[in-house]
Amino acid sequence: MARSLSLHVAVVGAGIVGAAAAHFLAAAGARVTLLDASGPAAGATGASDGAVSVASKKPGPMMDLARHARAFYGSCEADGLLRGLFHRRSTFLVARTPLEAELVAEHGADLAAAGERVLDVDRPTLLNRIPGLGDGVCFALEIPDDGHALGYEITQRLLQRSSVTVRRNAPVSEIVMRAGRAVGVAVRGEMLAADAVLVAAGIGSVGLLGLGDILIPRKGQMVVTDRAAAGRPAIDGHLMAASYLAAKRGIVRDNAHIGLVIDPLVTGQFLIGGSREDHRSDQTTDAVTISAILRDALDLYPPLRERRVLRTFAGVRTASRDGLPIIGPHPHLGGVTVATGFEGDGICLGPFMGACAARMILGEAPGVDLSLLAPQRFAAVEALA
Amino acid sequence: MSELAMTELPILVVGGGPAGVAAAVTLAEAGLRVLLIEQRDRLGGAIHRQPAPGAPQVWRGPARHRRNWTELTSRLERAAARIELRTSSVFLGIDGAGRFLFEDRRAGRVFARRVRAAIVAVGAVERIRPFEGWELPGVTSAGGAQVLLKETGRPPEGPIVVAGTGPLLLAVAAQLARAGNPPLAVLERGNPWRRPKTLAGLATAGPQLTEAAAYATTLAWKRVPYRTASEVLGVSEVGQGLAIRVRLGKIERLLQARHLLVHDGLEPNRAGIPLPAPGAEIPVLLAGDGREILGADAAILDGRRAAAAVLASLGQAAPVAPLEAALGKARAFQRDLAEALRSPSTLPTPETMICRCEGRRYADFTALPADASAREIRLMGRFGLGACQGRFCGPMLAELRGEALPSASPPRWPLRPVSLAALANFSMDQTET
Repeated sequence: MARSLSLHVAVVGAGIVGAAAAHFLAAAGARVTLLDASGPAAGATGASDGAVSVASKKPGPMMDLARHARAFYGSCEADGLLRGLFHRRSTFLVARTPLEAELVAEHGADLAAAGERVLDVDRPTLLNRIPGLGDGVCFALEIPDDGHALGYEITQRLLQRSSVTVRRNAPVSEIVMRAGRAVGVAVRGEMLAADAVLVAAGIGSVGLLGLGDILIPRKGQMVVTDRAAAGRPAIDGHLMAASYLAAKRGIVRDNAHIGLVIDPLVTGQFLIGGSREDHRSDQTTDAVTISAILRDALDLYPPLRERRVLRTFAGVRTASRDGLPIIGPHPHLGGVTVATGFEGDGICLGPFMGACAARMILGEAPGVDLSLLAPQRFAAVEALA
Repeated sequence: MSELAMTELPILVVGGGPAGVAAAVTLAEAGLRVLLIEQRDRLGGAIHRQPAPGAPQVWRGPARHRRNWTELTSRLERAAARIELRTSSVFLGIDGAGRFLFEDRRAGRVFARRVRAAIVAVGAVERIRPFEGWELPGVTSAGGAQVLLKETGRPPEGPIVVAGTGPLLLAVAAQLARAGNPPLAVLERGNPWRRPKTLAGLATAGPQLTEAAAYATTLAWKRVPYRTASEVLGVSEVGQGLAIRVRLGKIERLLQARHLLVHDGLEPNRAGIPLPAPGAEIPVLLAGDGREILGADAAILDGRRAAAAVLASLGQAAPVAPLEAALGKARAFQRDLAEALRSPSTLPTPETMICRCEGRRYADFTALPADASAREIRLMGRFGLGACQGRFCGPMLAELRGEALPSASPPRWPLRPVSLAALANFSMDQTET
């Protein structure tokens, strides 16, 4: 602890991952400055659904990590840190064609193999749980142990419950290196000295670390409706279409593909998403994409026809070339740790990954094997040396 | 109309009040095609709101407003061949692909149109200085009550108190009195008698003064007290009515009423409105009270001014100097009026409701960091996120912060809630030329 007491860490990026890392670093006694070009939750964290979902993960390391991350939410909720912000709720994986049913069944088997509870739901039970569900739904599985949390609320809580210094409107233009080691960051022409730097800046990490070949922006357009219920979720679970699983499992890679999710918010509103547009980092929404999302949503859940659309918005996910997050020490920049590339899984993984990054910076083992996610797996990073 | 004019893209005019209609006729008379979009089923805006079918017309408004409107609508009829009027239609904004989007609420349909330029003349929103209880049923905006009176011909039943600041209080109170339900009192927060010089300056404004004098006469005749340096401190519900705690000069009193009508001035309706950007491919201009609060007379001039700017950008000469001079006079009048009624600003109590849609109070706002970004104010504060899309809390917070809330970037659409089913049915074929 003596070492961390004297340590000053500059965390670049005040999304959910940066805020979590900053929180746990400060909790361990480090002095932390959290810098963001805009402010907390200004990027993908503030423009996402709140699925803390294992059900949506690709089989393999992501599914396992998501189970750790969801359990971490549970323990943070129990110990008070995230009290009231994490809610258990089911995810329903739904299929509307025989082909989709096969995909959902296969995904369910993968989830069960990873140790997840997977429940078969027949149509009468399903209609009882989600009245009004579309006629086309021919197969569904319930994943009962998933949860929900809003990224911006988690970010805010993590910062409120810590001694982290937050600097808004503080774009970091450069990591200042001396003799192969980071000595600080440059902000608006000034240097902020630091003993260690964590880059958790999403797509902003590209410019800072030269990761243009490795990180891809993937825009997602979403819709928020008016309230279908007062102060409680309007339906009893998160609806995830097979089209979403197809995208997550890498079966379809098409910029016009809609990975449909219908997320009942605790306000009684619906959040409906979304598009998956690679190499798009703008935050505009267009009527053609939005209407396609809504047509698909109406087919899955027709009662939405009674709703009005209050807002459309877009977020930019940061995806890595191989689809896995990047977390660990930078192979050539001493004192620099990277935590980005969480694509659409940042809300689920964020608090846990932030805690892992904090431990790495403090020289401790992260508690789970993250070697598959280490930055040195990319040759381009090697070439940067 | 020539064939060429038929195939030309239209100029979009949003809003069928005095500014929008003046802009539309000016453009049409110069030979351009116009697409005029009005959200109500009839033109007129708030100032020329007509009675609903079958409702009595209790109040016809000052003669000069009626003359102005008659002239505009007859010019509109003469230029009708060049103006495509779409009523019951709402401008939803411009999407990321540059589409101008609309909802035809009668047909339940969302459509896009290609246009050459746009003039947005969507009028004003009322400012309300928040106090404890302003969100209770029975408290409404005075301007909203005035529009309802014009439409239904019936004043609200039971005792009424009118409070806030500005000339609209006088107008609404007089119209309620004429319609058969004179308010118990009109409470004006400002104290114009303490600024005799500014008051004397205002006295040179002809038509506005005549109008104000007529209202004052009505109030005197119906024995409605008009108290200056007086304001509402808080409201609570008692039985079927409201207990209104007021300050009359230096004395506090409790008034009992069924309705409290509040109004603290007007400001341009800018909730999500695309703002003019220099060098934009399709120019967007603002006109009327939606650009600057200068009143109904000036709105007509400002609509013509915006039309002249569009014409000039298309190479058609259109003199604007006389219009600018007249607008300058209106601006000076508004400035003097604001100065005469200026009152010290007071902060609401922590429990005061700010956002009625999301139930957010002033304490929730002060808990946000002073340098909070637009997104933090929206997401963490939950201000401006509700169904009214910030129409009320936006101006309130702007006043409390001393600067406008940073707007969402990029600009958001829809500007108004839109039927999900109608938006789902949108397809690219529905881009009309």
